[in-house]
Amino acid sequence: MLNKFDIQIREAEEHAIIETTGYLNDALGEQLSEKAQELIQGGCVQLVINLEKTTLINSIGISILIEIIEALEEREGTLNFCGLSSTQERTFRMMAIAKYAGIFPDEESAVANL
Amino acid sequence: MKAPSKPLGDSLGTHKTQNTAEQTMERLIFSLSELEHLGQTLISGHSNFNHSSKTYLRITLGTLQIRRGAILRYHATGQNLDVVAATPESMFSPIPVEEDELEALLQHSFIDNADPPEPLKQFFARSAELSETIDIRLWVPLKIQDEFLGMIGLGKFLARDTLEAWEKELLTTLTHQISIAIAYSQMVEGIQSEKFRLFMLAESAPQICQLLQPEDAAEQVVQQAVSLLDANAGALMLTHTEQQELEMHYAFPETLIENTAAQENGDGLVISYGEDTPASQEPTSEDVLKSVVKEGIPGHCLPTSDTLFGGKNLMAVPIPGRDGDILGVLVVGDKEERGGRITSFTDEDVVLLDSFAKQAGVAIQNAQLHQEALEARQLQAEMEEARKIQVNLIPETLPDIPGYEVAGHYEPRGPVGGDYYDCLPLATGHWGLAIADVSGKGMQAALLMATLRAGLISELSRAESMVGAGLPSPYDQSALYAEIASMAMILNSLLYASGTEEKYATFFYSHLNPETDVLTTLNAGHNPPLLIRKDGSYKWLGEDVGGIPLGMFPNDMVSSIAEYEAEHVQLASGDVVVYYTDGVTETVNVEDDYYEEERLVEASQACKDEHAEAIRKYLHSSVMEFQGEADQFDDLTLLILRKQ
Repeated sequence: MLNKFDIQIREAEEHAIIETTGYLNDALGEQLSEKAQELIQGGCVQLVINLEKTTLINSIGISILIEIIEALEEREGTLNFCGLSSTQERTFRMMAIAKYAGIFPDEESAVANL
Repeated sequence: MKAPSKPLGDSLGTHKTQNTAEQTMERLIFSLSELEHLGQTLISGHSNFNHSSKTYLRITLGTLQIRRGAILRYHATGQNLDVVAATPESMFSPIPVEEDELEALLQHSFIDNADPPEPLKQFFARSAELSETIDIRLWVPLKIQDEFLGMIGLGKFLARDTLEAWEKELLTTLTHQISIAIAYSQMVEGIQSEKFRLFMLAESAPQICQLLQPEDAAEQVVQQAVSLLDANAGALMLTHTEQQELEMHYAFPETLIENTAAQENGDGLVISYGEDTPASQEPTSEDVLKSVVKEGIPGHCLPTSDTLFGGKNLMAVPIPGRDGDILGVLVVGDKEERGGRITSFTDEDVVLLDSFAKQAGVAIQNAQLHQEALEARQLQAEMEEARKIQVNLIPETLPDIPGYEVAGHYEPRGPVGGDYYDCLPLATGHWGLAIADVSGKGMQAALLMATLRAGLISELSRAESMVGAGLPSPYDQSALYAEIASMAMILNSLLYASGTEEKYATFFYSHLNPETDVLTTLNAGHNPPLLIRKDGSYKWLGEDVGGIPLGMFPNDMVSSIAEYEAEHVQLASGDVVVYYTDGVTETVNVEDDYYEEERLVEASQACKDEHAEAIRKYLHSSVMEFQGEADQFDDLTLLILRKQ
């Protein structure tokens, strides 16, 4: 799973779900940032990022997630995460990401709480 | 979040040509307002300068009535300037900065793009693409004291050729604010990164120590190391101390070692570190790994010298074991920076990976110990099964043979031995006595013994059925010789097919006709049994016609080396046959002397007139007495046949 490298986007009427696959480092993070910025610029400011298939994140990946949160905050948007491992969830809380973004166990609840 | 302010140029659109005190005042008020905005941006918690850089550029350009400009941020690790904000927006390649150019940039507050100082002419030539695209007229280095942080480039000034003195003062204040923002951002990024690393170190160490499968532990160790060091590749190589080899255990990504020669050979990546390698100016990645495992200290390798992982910037640290030994080497490759740049690992990185490797050593050894415990448990269960099999193969009681007494003793060294004896009744009223010593211990030995016994019983049944059919006569000695020799060949073939060269059995078979008291024997590599006559004289049975052990060679080789041959001996009243395994004659005492055949003869002569069971006890006591406090090294088996 970690050797694969992919981003899938599923857009609904008022929100979009971004699903990442692979190691969330600079390469995947930049792609994620680009896709998120495109959605935000296009007016979609209700986002869910599903990290179920991303079991490994480095500090650059974390900083890119923080940037997406900041960009959404400027547009008064919302970001919810789902599919986090227990370590990722603790990391997000420790890095204060959880202060500005919701953390939910699955896509359904993440979308419902946008 | 505060709404972005309108650029001053827009708000003053109708007054562009005015150059009055009123306009100056208005711009100053706007600037103060924007400076407040800058301050708010700085302390808002939005730490990432790259994200806020567009705001800083917009405020600066708006305050100074400039339409175009760019902010460049300096990356000390990559020694280059990265364009983080530009108006108009466009993509630019990072601009390298030389060491002497840095010093020159720090010495100037403003630099005219058309007339740069001599030491910076090369730098400005390299940044020509940016200057031309943005139409930059004035550069302002961003710095705090002696630390160079970046540059801001300003385009054509609206309705004037130069900035007025007060505008330059204002620009100095603005750039100072931007410099503070960059420094603050760097500090926060550094703290966040360290916070992340320390958290991950604290979080991952106990997690990997809980992994019980060695493969899982290896995978997690490598992945966590890659994440901790912001690397994009990693590998775990474990040592084989005896062979002095390092073997690839896990690589991330899996394609990391696809192109190495070892991988092409399909052998996996194995590096021998036993031999000394000649010192070279720039050691290869292979040299570095050898050095790390031999000297137990971290090592680095430049991409140009990496011959193993496709040209990566590598850092490798030893993985220490509990006893101070080196379990292996943990390697990470290509430390990433934001923007896809690859940078060098720092001294702090070495300390971090070294700390992590210590935890990794505990995790790997935990998993290995768990695996060993599982295997030991599995072996124990297997031995128990083998013991059950073997117990069923050794007769619980021996039969009564008319005119004879029989007694047996079996004493395995461990839970499962490799000796076997039996006394089998034949349909003709004759008896088959067998003794064997199977090589090895445990389940394989037990199965080989079971195979031998099953084959023996099967062959004896077949021979008996032939007798029943009229051929050959049980009293025909030559036919019996042939029959027994044929049986030995079949047993040899059976054992050879079911084992390896290391698995074989010494075997001695006796066919007893209690009516004629003829004992026909065949020896397949076993210790010759001892025949003690009533008068005390003795003879070793099968000593001269002993074949090779069963299962050691295929039948055609056995035929060419030494064919199995039978012989016979006539027993008389009071004669005793002592069958034994080498555990008897090779019993060692505390002085390292062997019991040997002579003692067996003496002891047998001393008790020959006793009942078979009493002879067994006497001989056993003799061996035990000789052994004394010394350890028992082998199974000990005795089978006594006495003619009444």
